[in-house]
Amino acid sequence: MRLSRRLVVGTISVVAFLALWQFVGQREIVRSDLISYPTEVLATFVRLTSTGELGTNAAVTLQEFIEGFVPSVVVGVIFGVALALIRPLRELLDPLLTAIYNAPVIAFIPILVVWFGVGTYSKVVIVFISAIFPVIINTRVGVSEIAEPWLRAVRSFGAGQLQIVTKAILPGSMPAIMAGIRLGLGRAIVGLIAGEMYVSLSGIGRMIQIYSSAARSSEIIVLVVVIAVFGYACVALLRSVENRMGTWRSDLE
Amino acid sequence: MAHLEIDAVSLAYPNAREQSTFLALDSIGLGIERGEFVTIVGPSGCGKSSLLMLVAALLHPTSGSIRLNGKPVVTPGSDRALVFQDFALLPWRTVLKNVELGLELAHVPAAERKAIAQKYIAMVGLRDFEGHFPHQLSGGMRQRVGIARALSVGPEVLLMDEPFGALDAQIRQVMAVELLKIWERDRKTIVFITHDIDEAVFLADRVIVMSASPGRVIETIPVALPRPRPLTLRNHPDFVAYRQRIWDLLEEQVRSSLNWQASDEAPPLAPVS
Repeated sequence: MRLSRRLVVGTISVVAFLALWQFVGQREIVRSDLISYPTEVLATFVRLTSTGELGTNAAVTLQEFIEGFVPSVVVGVIFGVALALIRPLRELLDPLLTAIYNAPVIAFIPILVVWFGVGTYSKVVIVFISAIFPVIINTRVGVSEIAEPWLRAVRSFGAGQLQIVTKAILPGSMPAIMAGIRLGLGRAIVGLIAGEMYVSLSGIGRMIQIYSSAARSSEIIVLVVVIAVFGYACVALLRSVENRMGTWRSDLE
Repeated sequence: MAHLEIDAVSLAYPNAREQSTFLALDSIGLGIERGEFVTIVGPSGCGKSSLLMLVAALLHPTSGSIRLNGKPVVTPGSDRALVFQDFALLPWRTVLKNVELGLELAHVPAAERKAIAQKYIAMVGLRDFEGHFPHQLSGGMRQRVGIARALSVGPEVLLMDEPFGALDAQIRQVMAVELLKIWERDRKTIVFITHDIDEAVFLADRVIVMSASPGRVIETIPVALPRPRPLTLRNHPDFVAYRQRIWDLLEEQVRSSLNWQASDEAPPLAPVS
């Protein structure tokens, strides 16, 4: 009952916003070449899709994202676990990690382009370093806050070092790891689009840069919506992965 | 030869601050027979839990040795299984998966371990809760999961560290009766730590009374009460006599540990002038 009420109210606000936007734009109350309006945006979306321009560029961006993000999660989790478990490693790398974690990745884009070129490699690297630090740091915190009884339980059955990691440490820190992945996801998308906008040969960010220099509002709005939908879809995917792993959350115990 | 032999076992912890060692257990000697139910009582901090961890080989004695079937105990193994006061269940695993844990760690094939786990889940009366998570269960049910998990690896000795200590009084008594039923079925050797004297007498073939720190065995009391034991046994004059005898022994120890604390930690108040 409450959920459906929320749904209705939410829908009303979205519909009202779109109607107002349509009215203000189409009637030229505000210049429509600046703010466009929903039906025009939709028409632009259809045009960009039918020519294949959007699909080709989105595919490039998606590929850069996957090639950077998947390794960053794998390496980040392994590195985070190692940091939490190996004290000398932690002492050695903590100051460096904290410094890099707090620096805006966008500031590194120019030098990464110098190193890895204007093509997709530099974008893959940007995604990788944008996402990996939140994953490392959250994993590290999650592992170091593992509850002692879980370790004790696994040890009491004679678990080896590797089994302690796979049966207690990794699943026990999964809520923290997932939080790190979600945080890394947001940073990766920002870094990727910013990198493409800075300099690139193709991709969604490249399209935004081109259309903005021509002041084409409708196209830019289409591209922004595409990015937003992609981000939303990724978060939804992560949620479903989390749910499939069980109802385990750190506040339940 | 006893089933489980604890031979002159001492345990000392290094005390970093005072650059000395703290003696937790002082030459404990115990022989526990196969199928015997032994309970250990003692004042808090007497090292009774440490003794259990030594048998489990999660701790190692400073001197002395522990043997099971005549073989020295050096590493944790499925011949001994622990049940903990805080249950120590894994919250991301269902009841079934929690009970499978020990078997999984021993690389028992999936189908086989599921069948074994289900058998013990049924034995502790949780057949309908296989798919539940620990946080969906009451304390008593959680500990039944803990017991099923320990039994599933087929241990010769069940090591129980104040297993009912986190449960309220009524549940505790019911759990004690249920534990005896399970024990009477296959007569595993059980070493059961508690600070509850009634519980110790009710369950045991033999009650071991330990001293205040450093822990020593001060008395071994065979409990000659008939089995099976109903809850009403607690009102029987013999039961009351056992309880009184153990209480007298413990009272002395508790007093001595309090005096020790008072003189050692709290300086006498300065007279007001």
